[in-house]
Amino acid sequence: MILEFEKPVRELEARIAELHRLAGPNAELQEEISRLEDALDAAKRRIYSNLTPYQRVQVARHPDRPDFDRYRDALADDFYELSGDRLGADDPAVRGGLAKIGSRSVVLLGHEKGDDVNSRVKSNFGMAHPEGYRKAGRLYDLAERLELPIVSLIDTPGAAPARAAEERGQAWAISADLMALARVPVPVVAVVIGEGGSGGALAMCLADHVVMLENSYLSVIAPEACASIIFRDEKRAPEAAEAMKITARDLLAHGIADEVLPEPLGGAHNEPEAAVEAVVRAIEGTLSKLSRLGPESLVKNRYERYRRIGTHVTEGEMAGTRGPGE
Amino acid sequence: MRCARRSIARSARRRGAEIRNWLHKRREYSRSASEAPDTESGLASTNGVFTKCEGCGQPIYEKELKARFNVCPHCQFHYPLPAPERVRLLADEGSFSERDAGMTAGDPLGFEDYREKLESAHEKTGLDDAILSGVARIGGHPVALAAMDFRFIGGSMGSVVGERITRTVEAAHDGGLPLVIVSASGGARMYEGIYSLMQMAKTSVALSRYMTGSSPYVSVLTDPTFGGVTASFGTAADVVIAEPGARIGFAGARVIESTTKERLPEGFQTAEFQKEHGLVDRIVHRLELKDDLERFLGFLT
Repeated sequence: MILEFEKPVRELEARIAELHRLAGPNAELQEEISRLEDALDAAKRRIYSNLTPYQRVQVARHPDRPDFDRYRDALADDFYELSGDRLGADDPAVRGGLAKIGSRSVVLLGHEKGDDVNSRVKSNFGMAHPEGYRKAGRLYDLAERLELPIVSLIDTPGAAPARAAEERGQAWAISADLMALARVPVPVVAVVIGEGGSGGALAMCLADHVVMLENSYLSVIAPEACASIIFRDEKRAPEAAEAMKITARDLLAHGIADEVLPEPLGGAHNEPEAAVEAVVRAIEGTLSKLSRLGPESLVKNRYERYRRIGTHVTEGEMAGTRGPGE
Repeated sequence: MRCARRSIARSARRRGAEIRNWLHKRREYSRSASEAPDTESGLASTNGVFTKCEGCGQPIYEKELKARFNVCPHCQFHYPLPAPERVRLLADEGSFSERDAGMTAGDPLGFEDYREKLESAHEKTGLDDAILSGVARIGGHPVALAAMDFRFIGGSMGSVVGERITRTVEAAHDGGLPLVIVSASGGARMYEGIYSLMQMAKTSVALSRYMTGSSPYVSVLTDPTFGGVTASFGTAADVVIAEPGARIGFAGARVIESTTKERLPEGFQTAEFQKEHGLVDRIVHRLELKDDLERFLGFLT
């Protein structure tokens, strides 16, 4: 898939490939090729280093973006998958199990978006039903019981808005996860690898340390939905994305994210190995830092981290944005 | 005297207008056009003294509606109830002591029109934000009490709602008090972007800690309660009570229909529907709510 703003890059790449095919030893064409390569380089830098928030949302949604499987394979020498919510169903939109990261065992979970038509439909494009959140909750309990850290990989457009989800208590399932994560006495590390859609993302990223990939986003509502409600025009999604401050760098500045991992030029899908490697290093580093804290400090710090977030103004006090990092 | 009468008439008119506005909104939320009332306004208010009920179409005397805390005397239809009225309904007379008054919303993102929205909501309701909170007694039992107000930007949860809920939970935690929260909310307040999402996390950490103790938390869900409020403190309670007919859920019916093209059944997401699905404990008529809470609290003292 080619994103609209990537077209100049893709066109240059195609022309260069074509010339390579024709060139052979022709010196004149070689010169033309190297001229185009310079132009390509410049175009890439110009386009990718100035992505608008909404363009980043599109990169975050790119179908070739590295997904749960890709990170899991790079993170874990062994992944012992666990299924089901123990209440009657297994939601393919949430995957989880035990994983060995280096010498450390963890409970690893994340959203599954699928990588072809069938698996995308099966996993409902990463939009979990209550069974998915109850599966997550069951894994949080397991982590507590076995005293293992929790590592979650966030990539969801949001919780499924569906009749079946409502009939089985979508809101109840998400709130139960938030309550569980709030008090689980083990380290919790969350990495937003793609989309961080609202409550469906939060149910897996109320964490001690939140890492975001440069082109990932975390938002209270999809920019399209925000535009349609507030501006009464879905086409104003780019403005909504800008206004809501949903990019990784915005969230770092507002103290919601702790760390932003730069992506390869053009996005993680252009050079997945580099993106995956950065995530692995960040998780290992964070786990080793958090492992020094005891259960009480972890829970207490997590309380304070979220307790501070708010921009209310109390009479007599000055207005100020207070994020967890401050 | 005449002046007073005029002001009563004016407030009755305003009240009629509020209900009409609300009905207009409700129509927007409703699942299909065929459900919308026949009249343009949805509520044929003749002169501000009488109102036509949406539930049964019968005329209601405005004063009677107010005396019955916005419940139709004929068909028992429950209209939204302003937070101050909710407190008057539940708290023993003179027992409510407001906490955290004067806390107002910041505009962390400088979002288009947010300031104006806040000002007009404040003007319309006299409230600082979509919530009233404090401590009170219910049937002699001391409780921490919060009530949301749907009139204030759809009862949406931004930093003020999140903070006042959290402080109410903390007051209950510190004082070993039962906690009662009455919700009415369209969900998170988009104008505050990520800060509104994070109020779900903030209220949850406070509530999670409170619930390691042994005091009860009762959540009362009223029409409508959706999104970030149901997906955080609204449903994470020991006892979930809902008012008759209240629409309660995560995603709204309109969003579901437009996303999945599903046909939604009659009564989808009503309190009765949620009770049938095992998600709500009790459906309690508004005029019996205080007694019901007293009974529950009586088991624990």
